[in-house]
Amino acid sequence: MNIIEQITYCIEFGKIDKNSPFPPDMRGQDGAHELVKKALEEAHTPDEILNDGMIVAMEKVGKKFSEKRIFIPQMLMSAKAMNKAMEHIKPYFNDGSVQQKGTFVIGTVSGDLHDIGKNLVAMMVEGNGWNVIDLGVDVSHEKFIEKLNKYPDCVIGLSALLTTTMVNMEKIVKEIKAVSPKTKVLVGGAPVNKDFCNKIGADSYSPDPQGVVHYLSSLAS
Amino acid sequence: MIIFNQHFEMQRDYYLNLAKEHKRMIFGVDLILKEKKNHNEIVLNGDKLGEVVIEATKRFNMQMALPWMDLDVEKQELLELLGLDLAALDGFHFDETNISEETRALIKKSGHSSLSKRLEANCQSIRYVKENSNYLPVGMCIGPFSFITKLLRDPIFPVFLYSMGVTGTEDPSVCTLELAFEAATEVILKSIRRQIEAGAKAICVCEPAANNVYISPDILVEDGEDVFDKLVLKYNYRITELLGKNDVDLILHDCGELTDLMVKKLCKLHPVILSLGSSRNLWKDARIIPGDIVLFGNLPTKQFLMDDEMTNEKVVELTNELEAKMKKSGHPFILGSECDVLSVEGYQSKIMEKVNLMLTCKCHDHL
Repeated sequence: MNIIEQITYCIEFGKIDKNSPFPPDMRGQDGAHELVKKALEEAHTPDEILNDGMIVAMEKVGKKFSEKRIFIPQMLMSAKAMNKAMEHIKPYFNDGSVQQKGTFVIGTVSGDLHDIGKNLVAMMVEGNGWNVIDLGVDVSHEKFIEKLNKYPDCVIGLSALLTTTMVNMEKIVKEIKAVSPKTKVLVGGAPVNKDFCNKIGADSYSPDPQGVVHYLSSLAS
Repeated sequence: MIIFNQHFEMQRDYYLNLAKEHKRMIFGVDLILKEKKNHNEIVLNGDKLGEVVIEATKRFNMQMALPWMDLDVEKQELLELLGLDLAALDGFHFDETNISEETRALIKKSGHSSLSKRLEANCQSIRYVKENSNYLPVGMCIGPFSFITKLLRDPIFPVFLYSMGVTGTEDPSVCTLELAFEAATEVILKSIRRQIEAGAKAICVCEPAANNVYISPDILVEDGEDVFDKLVLKYNYRITELLGKNDVDLILHDCGELTDLMVKKLCKLHPVILSLGSSRNLWKDARIIPGDIVLFGNLPTKQFLMDDEMTNEKVVELTNELEAKMKKSGHPFILGSECDVLSVEGYQSKIMEKVNLMLTCKCHDHL
């Protein structure tokens, strides 16, 4: 395997760094962290590492998850490995040598503190080459709009896990659309579904992170 | 030597009889509580909370006084024990720096210390129900695994590492996980003991996080011990031991997404009632669950606020279908909600209307 393929392998199977004891059969080996650093030192471009190594890995992970060949814990390990690798690539976003596909602003809506799904989506989307701004949990419409004003072309993702808080999505969508009707808003979370998405005027619903990635890819293409 | 607790086993008949009588129940105290303007004060006043529990039990025509489902009580108890401000409730997490030996010793010794306001109110409400009604007083607590998911910032990671055989000496997050489990279980046992002292005849242990989000189902094994046995069942056995010693029954609630194997493993705790969420097909589950465990659930009550998808007619249809198919299965069953039915501002009457339909509509080809 060449080094780019090794990076893909490490991210696909969740090998974060040399110290990480997972996967058990890769103990003591370099992980995504070391390999991306090494690839940069060997003059591979950040763009090549990101697109041919990291994004390829996350696409494989997303596909395996959609096909129920892996589950959230394994996806999380891959996302962590990707995150670690991304630390080396992020500096190149600022100088323009790596193009990001767009900006994705995500948060769990006001009154809700659940974040597992939101965190996974954020990691998967970042791993697919987007600039992700994670607003955290209990996010009001004002905070979403603040980011929208800063990143007028962003796509916004709303997450909720409770029936008592998913109703807050409607207000947030309304406020966003009032400021910027063209801004795309995605919704997700356990109690949410396509009918609810349509009812509140959101643009897309996805039951899993890979669906979000596909939707964003359709916007970026 | 196995000691047959005849009295204990006879208690199981109570729940089997409720099932035979085709009773229906919901976790519905939140609906009644939120009708009161001063509900924030009520939850800190045991007598008033007990009144609300009795009102809910009466209005929903139940025999068991199911309590208000508040799965933050034990975390509040922990924070007060550690001298922390309750404002820090959601942000507090154990990590390598704050789960010292000193902290754990403090938690271990806290069994007879004074209670937090919320837990005291819960205990007093149980006393109130016992003294002012003929309903079965039921207590409630969060289960150890679900408690851990509130006590660790990133619980999936160490749980997964643990399941892959990584030890506490190899990874600090796994070490924190193991220590946190011990501490969490002590707090839960204290909560249960006090509720039993207050008169609870059953305790509903809520383990909504023991599901396939936190535990990867592809690493579970039918024979032998796996992470579900070691992290979910192991600590819950300490609860069942305490309940057994006090002749108190276990109601086990897990509304998360589960595999068949997870359901089978939960049955090892041998609850009198197993409450499952709407992701499960109860008439299929009936084939894998012992015949002396009453199945409870599992109308998709979380969707009751959505009129487009969950019309009144759909509620009746689903209720009838569930009841008819469970009757055909022959498994003891109490029809009810998939979880706590929450009051949602602006949707209260809609939800209540559907709840009442669910509880009162007649099954067409039966009864």
